[in-house]
Amino acid sequence: MAATSSKARDSGQRGARGKVLSRGDKWRGYRYHHRSTLQSSAVKMLREPLQSLLTVVVIAIALTLPAALYLSVENIRQLSGGVESSAQLSVFVTKGARGPAVEGLGRQLEGLSGVASVTYISADSALEEFKAMSGFGAALQYLDENPLPEAFLVQPLLLNDATRLVTEIRQLKLVDDVQLDMQWLQRLDALLDMGRKLVLALAAALGVGVILVVGNTIRLAIQSRRDEITVVKLVGGTDAYVRRPFLYTGLLFGIFGAVVAAIMLTVLGFWLAGPVDKLAGLYQSQFRVTGLGFGGFISLLLIGGAVGLAGAWLAVGQHLRNIKPS
Amino acid sequence: MIRFDNLSKRYEGGFEALRNVSFEMDAGEMAFLTGHSGAGKSTLLKLLMLIERPTSGNLLINGKNLNRLAHSKVPFYRRQVGVVFQNHQLLFDRSVFENVALPLQVAGYSPGDIGRRVRAALDSVGLLEREQQNPVALSGGEQQRIGIARAVVHKPKILLADEPTGNLDPQLSAEIMALFKRFQDVGVTVLVASHDINLINRMNMRIMRLNQGQMEEDGISYGGY
Repeated sequence: MAATSSKARDSGQRGARGKVLSRGDKWRGYRYHHRSTLQSSAVKMLREPLQSLLTVVVIAIALTLPAALYLSVENIRQLSGGVESSAQLSVFVTKGARGPAVEGLGRQLEGLSGVASVTYISADSALEEFKAMSGFGAALQYLDENPLPEAFLVQPLLLNDATRLVTEIRQLKLVDDVQLDMQWLQRLDALLDMGRKLVLALAAALGVGVILVVGNTIRLAIQSRRDEITVVKLVGGTDAYVRRPFLYTGLLFGIFGAVVAAIMLTVLGFWLAGPVDKLAGLYQSQFRVTGLGFGGFISLLLIGGAVGLAGAWLAVGQHLRNIKPS
Repeated sequence: MIRFDNLSKRYEGGFEALRNVSFEMDAGEMAFLTGHSGAGKSTLLKLLMLIERPTSGNLLINGKNLNRLAHSKVPFYRRQVGVVFQNHQLLFDRSVFENVALPLQVAGYSPGDIGRRVRAALDSVGLLEREQQNPVALSGGEQQRIGIARAVVHKPKILLADEPTGNLDPQLSAEIMALFKRFQDVGVTVLVASHDINLINRMNMRIMRLNQGQMEEDGISYGGY
């Protein structure tokens, strides 16, 4: 009579007077049970709207903070990426170098690894540009000769290659000086790295917070359904059966929290869009704030759901075992 | 079907609720368990429901030793047993139908099956028309009959009852007992714990009397004493 396998159990239980539960029947019953458990979990949440709302908002805030920081870091990175692509090395040619030698240097520069493009700027065109841009046009007319050297603008493929290229180019003949004004960009890069680490740390800390909040909510739910759990255990409910509604509740809390967090992030995005556009306009940039996007939304839902489920699992593991029929 | 083999139960703190109890019940047999409160009736039923485990001795159901049943198998064992409680343990946050359906839901029956079996069980206790009501709206006797419907809805082979008539007047109590007899008639092994001596004497059935944890008497009553 004590069952050893599910098949033996069913035939042993019903063989004498009822039909055996088929595999299909079991699957249908199982699916129906999951659906109705999910439904009743949602209904139970709505029955205590204030408590549920409170939990959802706490989860939403805990998800919004790291997500907003993450989006800020990503946006700044995008912005710096735009600048990065225009990062250039200025290579100044030794005064008095002859035409063919300068052309040779140009070919040498093109041949270096990690160089995207090389642009030649003659001394004359540099002077013209300087006259036009600086406003010293009149004063420059008094100079006997053009003080500006001939130059190449070298565009590196990657920002990381820039420093190496500077040392390599310095060693070439006819090179007077190489200037790289990108150090601030490298600093920004380091800063962004730090930002990303901060996002992770914040997300981890708040994730633990959410787990505890959901855990506490589920603990209260378990206590308020003590009688039901006792009866279910007495009529042969497995631990998994008893656990399931609470796990669904945790999952729903996490997902609702993620949806509210997505709404908060969208509102935040709209709120910031005006000032950012203004700032971008001042810098003549085409920069636009990038929001969460569809992929980000799905990730947020998954993270919210996982964290909610984890919280529920924790509470269930701790408290369900203590409820025994007596 | 049920075999107690020199079984003892000592609770933490040293109280010995059952001492070397041995008895056997055949499949389809009905018996009463009686004795003063504290004699060990509830403990004996708890052992049969695996709410408690014996300190020593063996408890065999259908030849299988329950002592060796793993914790994870306990729910499956309980699905073969129906239990009726004195305080009926109905849930007042759902309808009569949903209360009775619980053992079937737990065992994974499909909605169609559940509906059919629940109505059959409610019909057998004469309360089919109450299925959509909340059990809180029913009388004590009706609540107890709902509890019985829930205990038999999954057609268990063993039906246990702990003081099922404890709060009922004599006429209702007799009705409840007659109901148990009907389940015995269809082959269920029925064990009812009750201290209502007058009532169980009238039933002409096997009576086991516990006294301070020991089996004091085990036999058929003939309505006499």
